[in-house]
Amino acid sequence: MFALLAMPICAQLQLGSLDRAAQAKKQHVELLTDSLQLTANKPQDVELRFRVEPGFHINSHTPKDELLIPTVLKLDPGSLHIANEQYPSGQHFRLQVGNGEDLDVYQGDFRVMLRVEAPKGATTLTGSLRYQACDTASCFPAKLLPVQIAVTVR
Amino acid sequence: MIALVGVLFWAGVHNLRHRRALSEIPHVTLMPASSADDNSPAPEAEGAELRGKDAPAFTLTDLSGKKVSLADFKGHPVVVNFWATWCGPCKLEMPWFQEFSSKYKGQGLEVLGLSQDDGATRQDVAEAAKKIGVSYTILMPDENVAKKYGGVDYLPETFYIDRAGKIVDVTAGAPSKDQMEALIQKTIAAGGA
Repeated sequence: MFALLAMPICAQLQLGSLDRAAQAKKQHVELLTDSLQLTANKPQDVELRFRVEPGFHINSHTPKDELLIPTVLKLDPGSLHIANEQYPSGQHFRLQVGNGEDLDVYQGDFRVMLRVEAPKGATTLTGSLRYQACDTASCFPAKLLPVQIAVTVR
Repeated sequence: MIALVGVLFWAGVHNLRHRRALSEIPHVTLMPASSADDNSPAPEAEGAELRGKDAPAFTLTDLSGKKVSLADFKGHPVVVNFWATWCGPCKLEMPWFQEFSSKYKGQGLEVLGLSQDDGATRQDVAEAAKKIGVSYTILMPDENVAKKYGGVDYLPETFYIDRAGKIVDVTAGAPSKDQMEALIQKTIAAGGA
C-alpha cells in the first residue's frame, strides 16, 4: 500500500530531473533528408536539408567572429565521390544583450548542397554536422548531429 | 484501489506541472528585451538546486598559471560566472561584471570568470578576455568543477555566493544589467559581516 502511494511522488521527482537532463543533451538541429536517389556515373547536385529548432540559431559556416564555432558537415563518402560542398549564406541576427552583436546564423530550415557522382548500387552516406546553438540569451556547447542517409544509385 | 492510485498519480503529475510553471517565473528575467526570436523559454539553471547550499570548493589555474581557490575569498561576496569564448551572450554581459567588480570592490566583491573553453590554451582565453575588456580573475576550465556546479551545460551560468560561502542565487542566460546589479547587491547584503 505504501509503495503504491509513493509512486506518484517518485514519478514527480523523476519527471523533473529527466526534463533538465534531457534539455542539456538534446539536439537543436534535425536532419530532414533521409534518402537520396542518384543516376549512376553522372555528376549531380543534391541537397541535405536540416532544420534548426524554433527559438534557436546556429552559427553559419562563416561566422563573423573567429571565436564562434562554425557549422561544418563532415561526410564519409564511401563509394560516393563528393566533388563539392556548398553551404548557404547565413542570415543576419542581432544578439540583443548589452551593447549587442551582429551574427551570421542559420535559423529554421537550411540546405547544404553536394555535387556527387556514384556507381550503380545502394549505399549509406554517413557523417556528422558539427554546430553550436544559442537562443537569445544563452548558448549550448557544440554538438555533433549524426548524418545517415540511404543512397540508391540506378 | 486502482482508481485511487490513478487519482494520486494524476494529482502528482498535475502538481508537478503547477510547480514547474511557478518555478519558471524567474528570480531574474532571463530574456533580453525585444527579440525577434523570443519564443524559447530559458530553462532553469542546472545548478539552481545549489541555492541556499554551501558553494562547492574548487582550485583552478588563472591566466598566469597561478592556482586560485574559492577558499582564498572566504569572507567576501563572490560572483562565479561560467562563460566561454564561443558564447556570444557571455561576452556581452562580461563588461557588466567588470563594471560591478570595480563599483563594489570597496564592499569586498570578487568576480571569478570560469572559462569553459575545453581545449583552448591560456593564451587563447587571455586574448579573448582582453578583447572583451575584463581584468577580473579568469580561471581555466576543469570539467570536475562544472560537474560540482550542476553540470553547467548552458552558458552563461552565474552563481552568487555570500560572505558565508552560501549560494544566494543562480542564473542561466544573460540577465539585464539592472537585474545583475540587484543580484550583486543582494549577495553583498547576505551572509552577515
